[in-house]
Amino acid sequence: MSQTLTTTPGVPANNDRNNRNYRRAKLAKAAANKFIVYLVLVFGAVLMLLPLLWMVTTSLSNNEYATSFPPHFIPTHFEFGKYVSIFTNHDMGQFFLNSIIIVVPSIAGQIISSSMAAFAFARLRAPGKRILFIMTIATLMIPYEVTIIPTFILFRYFHWINTFWPLIVPQLFGNAYNIFLMRQFMMSIPTELDDAAKIDGLGFFGIWRRIILPLSFAPIATVGVFTFTFNWGSFLAPLIYISKTRFYPLALGIYMMTQTSNRGQIPPWNLIMAGSMLLTVPMVLVYFFSQRYLYEGSNVLGKIT
Amino acid sequence: MSSARGMSMKAKETLAFYLFLTPWGIGFIVFLMGPLLASLVLSFTNWDLLQPAQWVGLANYKRVLFGPSQFWLAMGNTAYYALILVPLSIVVALILAVLLNQNIILRRFFRTVFYLPATLPIVAVVFLWQWILAPSGILNEILGWFGIHGPAWFVDPAWIKPGLILMGVWAAGSGVVLFLAGLQGIPKYMYEASAMEGAGPIRQFLMITVPMLSPIVLFNLINGIIGALQVFTQVYIIARDNKAAVMAVPYLYHEAFGYFKMGYASAVAWIFFIFVMALTLVVLRWSRSWVYYEGEVR
Repeated sequence: MSQTLTTTPGVPANNDRNNRNYRRAKLAKAAANKFIVYLVLVFGAVLMLLPLLWMVTTSLSNNEYATSFPPHFIPTHFEFGKYVSIFTNHDMGQFFLNSIIIVVPSIAGQIISSSMAAFAFARLRAPGKRILFIMTIATLMIPYEVTIIPTFILFRYFHWINTFWPLIVPQLFGNAYNIFLMRQFMMSIPTELDDAAKIDGLGFFGIWRRIILPLSFAPIATVGVFTFTFNWGSFLAPLIYISKTRFYPLALGIYMMTQTSNRGQIPPWNLIMAGSMLLTVPMVLVYFFSQRYLYEGSNVLGKIT
Repeated sequence: MSSARGMSMKAKETLAFYLFLTPWGIGFIVFLMGPLLASLVLSFTNWDLLQPAQWVGLANYKRVLFGPSQFWLAMGNTAYYALILVPLSIVVALILAVLLNQNIILRRFFRTVFYLPATLPIVAVVFLWQWILAPSGILNEILGWFGIHGPAWFVDPAWIKPGLILMGVWAAGSGVVLFLAGLQGIPKYMYEASAMEGAGPIRQFLMITVPMLSPIVLFNLINGIIGALQVFTQVYIIARDNKAAVMAVPYLYHEAFGYFKMGYASAVAWIFFIFVMALTLVVLRWSRSWVYYEGEVR
């Protein structure tokens, strides 16, 4: 090859042959890069998915397989016994129902209260609004471990230990993050709509209910999904407030199942994995159907900074 | 008169504003500001919920900071956990996001897969990893194929924190989504211009991608550190009585709800809160030297 190939990369050489060689080298290099990129991505995806596959196969295996050593990746035959056992020998049906009883009103409360506050901050003018908004955002910095002790004392004073109230009531008033997320969205709705609605005789409540809420589907879905995600797997609050078996939410119920040793033995892993599947599958379903909103939500979160 | 009507409209709007804010106002007072102040007052008392509370001044703070307790052990373990897990998660998430930002087929599939572990309920994740990392579990079996004798992860004091960190990195995917959104906001001409100047991919990554993403790195860093320092569920379930993984919030939980030392636990909470705030401020201060805000004066 001639010495003329000292052109800067990216600028094609004048010489035709050099140009072709250069392009071919560049293509080969690009193909090699692509290969490495895919290799890393596939490797990463396998690392993310293998543990989940392990959860599924373990939950579908029989006791012999689950306790055998060395462990096998794929069971020799599948059985659904543990999925029956978690409902018949353990109270997973009740725990599942308890989780739903806690999650549904929490979602409704978060959506209604947060959207009301967000509407006030986004669309209404009033003295003191700025300082109240700053105070609202500042509550994001209050860590939960500072408030749990007084909150426990308060609910104990109400005789709400071993009821669902301590798990539901704090959710009914909204929170700063959800308010911020909804406010950001509502600010982008044209104010002409409000003016037109006022001319049509709608009050502020009507504007919130009939104009703003129907247009705010995306942030409502986001808040709903976040509230579900947060409460479905919640562990600390039930651990503090619930000690009676029939009130356990699912996550606590599964934990307690692993603690009740059967003649000093931990329950078999296939049973625990079946319980974990019951906890995981609803979350994964919600995630698949709401990915779009979750990503939007994390984008808004990114904009706080 | 129009001015009178204007006044009444204004008053109506103010009234509506405060009415709409009422539910959140109640929550703000009853579940945030009230408990915050109550916790501060409690921290100056001794109270076991049975006998009347006693005012003890700063005694609890002295006992937490200088008394014989597991507090400093817990702080050390928590700091170790957070300061390794968070940077590691950010690096992993950043690499995956940059790779995904290439012209990749199945990008959405990969994005879904990477984010998936971060969405799972933590209790399920804990049991899954206890099973994977069991002394004769699947991971040690795989390590055995390569002639590596795997440790007794969550049982061995030397390996319990690395085990927890490994579990945390598995769920690093929430950062991927955030970084990917940031990457798509970087103008293409920057890369084209630098390619004309002869910059390779690694140089482009260091000179364009990293500075342009630095605000998101900072956000992930602060959020991640605050979240990791407050770790509870995995430590509570896995560590139990393992001294090598006593951490701040589980320690506080045991003092408050195991021994009913409400005043002492409140003092722990405030010292921990101040520590977290101080660390956040240090990171923010330090970030001035490496975070790049495009065309913005902060």
